[in-house]
Amino acid sequence: MTDESATVRGNAAAAKIAVSDRPRERAGQARPRRSIRWTEGILAGGSLLAVAAFAWPLFVGAVPADAQVAVPIVAFALIPALIVALALTLDREMYTAKTVALLGVLSAVGAAVRIAGAGVGGVEAVFVLLILAGRVYGARFGFLLGLLTIAVSSVLWGGFGPWTPFQMFACGWVGAGAGLLPRWQNATGRNSSGQRMRATLEIALLAAYGVVASYLFGLLMNLWFWPFAVGSGTGISYEATADPGENLASFLLYSLVTSTLTWDTVRAITTVVGITLVGPAVLAALRRTKISPRR
Amino acid sequence: MFRLRLAPLRAAVVLAVGFVLLRVVYRVVFGGAGAGAGPLLLDLPLLRLDGPFSHITLLGPITLLGLGNAALSALPIAAVIVFFGVLNAVINVQALFARGAGRGPLRAISRSLVIAWATFPALLESVRRVRVARALRGERSIASLLVPIFEQTIERALALAASMETRGFAATRVVPGVCEAPVVLTDAGLDFGADWHLDELNVTLRPGTLTVIVGATGSGKTSLLHSMSGLFQHFYDGTQHGRIDIAGADRASTPPRDTAGFVGLVAQNVRLGFASETVHDEIGFALAVRDVAASIVHARVLEVAARLKIEHLVDRPIEQLSAGEASLVAIAAALVNHPILLLVDEPLADLDTAARDRVCTVLDQLAHEAGVCVVIAEHNTREFSSTADAWLQIRGSRVHHLSPEIGTTITTGSDADLNGRRPADSLAVSWDTARPSFGSGAGMAAAAQSATLEIGSVPAMPLASIRRLSVRQKADLVVDDVSFDVQAGELVALRGSNGAGKTSLLRAIALPTAADIVIVGGHDVRSRKRRTRRQSVTLVPENFDDLLFAITVAEECRRADRTLREPNFRRGLRAVTHTERSTAALFAHLLGFHAPTDAAPLLQRHPRDLSAGERLCLVMAIQLAARPALLLVDEPTRGLDQTARALVSAALLTAAGAASAVVFATHDDDFAQDLATRTLRMQAGRLAAPIEVRS
Repeated sequence: MTDESATVRGNAAAAKIAVSDRPRERAGQARPRRSIRWTEGILAGGSLLAVAAFAWPLFVGAVPADAQVAVPIVAFALIPALIVALALTLDREMYTAKTVALLGVLSAVGAAVRIAGAGVGGVEAVFVLLILAGRVYGARFGFLLGLLTIAVSSVLWGGFGPWTPFQMFACGWVGAGAGLLPRWQNATGRNSSGQRMRATLEIALLAAYGVVASYLFGLLMNLWFWPFAVGSGTGISYEATADPGENLASFLLYSLVTSTLTWDTVRAITTVVGITLVGPAVLAALRRTKISPRR
Repeated sequence: MFRLRLAPLRAAVVLAVGFVLLRVVYRVVFGGAGAGAGPLLLDLPLLRLDGPFSHITLLGPITLLGLGNAALSALPIAAVIVFFGVLNAVINVQALFARGAGRGPLRAISRSLVIAWATFPALLESVRRVRVARALRGERSIASLLVPIFEQTIERALALAASMETRGFAATRVVPGVCEAPVVLTDAGLDFGADWHLDELNVTLRPGTLTVIVGATGSGKTSLLHSMSGLFQHFYDGTQHGRIDIAGADRASTPPRDTAGFVGLVAQNVRLGFASETVHDEIGFALAVRDVAASIVHARVLEVAARLKIEHLVDRPIEQLSAGEASLVAIAAALVNHPILLLVDEPLADLDTAARDRVCTVLDQLAHEAGVCVVIAEHNTREFSSTADAWLQIRGSRVHHLSPEIGTTITTGSDADLNGRRPADSLAVSWDTARPSFGSGAGMAAAAQSATLEIGSVPAMPLASIRRLSVRQKADLVVDDVSFDVQAGELVALRGSNGAGKTSLLRAIALPTAADIVIVGGHDVRSRKRRTRRQSVTLVPENFDDLLFAITVAEECRRADRTLREPNFRRGLRAVTHTERSTAALFAHLLGFHAPTDAAPLLQRHPRDLSAGERLCLVMAIQLAARPALLLVDEPTRGLDQTARALVSAALLTAAGAASAVVFATHDDDFAQDLATRTLRMQAGRLAAPIEVRS
């Protein structure tokens, strides 16, 4: 988790625990280990493949007619396989007591939030946690937290099915994306007004990302399920023989009426409100428990 | 692995029906319901979109056959949804996951899952606690609920991680331990940035001895202890100078997980560190993470349990342990590897007298019969005065060796040592000034006075009366028909052993569940509104941290001010200016500062970075800012040393000046005797008959 080194230290007192981290992190940056490079390659490649599997309806036309039936089946098999592959890749790196404990406890919180949300009309606040934790602990932690939150809540709620791996990936990306947002060095001085400005800016950045993530999440989840949801014979149905532009237009209209105007908007609002209300306190709490990479 | 749970099946059926209906709606809206020759139900106009959507038509005719086709076409997928509902109802996926924990290539993730499931009960408990705390503070914001829950969860994660780390989780190599020299500190130094440091540490401890580290709260007892466990250097990221050898291993380069074979640690709050679901698995954890065969683990667990005489607990679920039992289980879990060095952090803080004796005896036997080197950080020094072989006292940035004889004297004279510190220094002032002139004649003193006058003129009417209060928890009656009166100006100590019902009684007084049970200043507390209720009675609960949710002390105080302003303004009470009755000023006053500005550095800090005594004063200030006639405080001295205790007793006296009366629950004899004007005793939910009155 080298991207952690540039984390803004919003709370001066929180830095107490983290101060001595710095020399070690610098040493780590100077000599990037080969395994880290490998991991990055696997993560990026795996995510690209997964995106392709999510977008299978847009690719079917390019496949020979005989093989078109197999495309959704390949997509459905590929996603769980990729999850296992990425989890195996990240597992070694996460194998420290602090990371495992935080991952476990936070995914329990995430699952509780998700299940509680299902009771109040699907107002999903789980993105708030994914984004804040991804921001503080980095993209890899955020990705795993997304996977585990869905896994734990699905098991508890009893909603395990072929759709679960897709949800896991999409939530994993939400957490990972928050970890990849730009960070700024604390070079703007140590005066308190500068710090307050940076803190506000950070919350604004995360809230904006929350909106983008909410809508993208909705689009992704619609994409792979769209042919099944609508079936054939309607104006927005998926047509294997039609040209990609037409299918894309059909999909966008489907997505607009299915979730963009309703669920996704509710989710975006919940996320912005949540990040604004509890963001500063939760960021401070997470930063007080900085995790260092496995040495 | 198999079980029957109907909820998933029910949810799946609802989803499947919803899916079919949705498919029909899509067909109707997007012009697909007109197929076939069946009877025409509705002839809607066809609308064609343009631009990139020109291939899409909306609405159109609807036929019965078209609707039927739509529903039929959705059935295969609906069937898949129901099929998975059945699987979820029958298969216990959780058990499948749990099998992989600890071994195999996904051990980190599967261990995380086990922790996640183990966290759920704690999470529910946490929600319950924080909801009470929020009601006590009179808050309704989302942050006041979510932030304390989150803080507790993070605290649990860290404690859990520390306990897993010291028990060898994720260890990569086995370091051999040397029995002859358990602890050797040579010209060592420790520091946490600029805030705290200890220098010139030269300490050698031998096997078969019991050493107690003493010092004020915040002086660094725990840090010194963890410089030996390695958590200081490798977990909390403190910096070590010089050399520290633990049973021959260089602490600076050896993380705690690699010395789990010969260093045992019992953490401060043992419950937070439990990583398993049963006592058996908890005691065997350190062996299980090393992949020791299950039969050997079982034998060792029974052996250790027999040594501590807790065999009867082995099959118990971990959450059913009492505080004393939990301590013994944690000690057993630390002993399972037969450590050379056993480190124990404040083992007595939460225990009543019987449990304290038991733990002290066990630690004594381990040192003097089993030959373990035992190191304890503790401020309750009296209990170890006959068994300790050496005392290490932290004063300033140095550690002083005290011989056993001197050790016994510090138990009685520790107040004297600490006179140089700020709170004790200012104590004399607060004791003198607290009652007569609190708040420089502002609203609060006036309120107290008017209350006293009112009561004084009608002597028959007490300030508060509790009438036949009972609390039922599940099947048990935890408070049984308690009635008593409190007069203005009283400081009442509520005493009794663990589980006597003190906490339940105080909570029921602050948040009564029925009418006409708690009457304060002529008002029935139950019938008052959320905000005005706090002018009658407020409670500082035992877990006072649950009331805090801001990121600076100043913001915490501002919030407390804000919740008060509105009703007072509306009711046109005395025009009290903002600064005079601000919570921040009250906080400074409780801490014994002369001017509110002296507390300014504290106001900029995160509430959770304050010391325990300071945090308690902050919560007292928040609860007193509502100007309650009656202030209730639950266990104000738990886990506090002499200095902090003096600070709190001065604050309670000040509070008795601000509120009209204070009731505090405690099982600290000295504290109650020094402070209380009257003592109430509770036993098994009832008030014991004799009420002693101090002359």
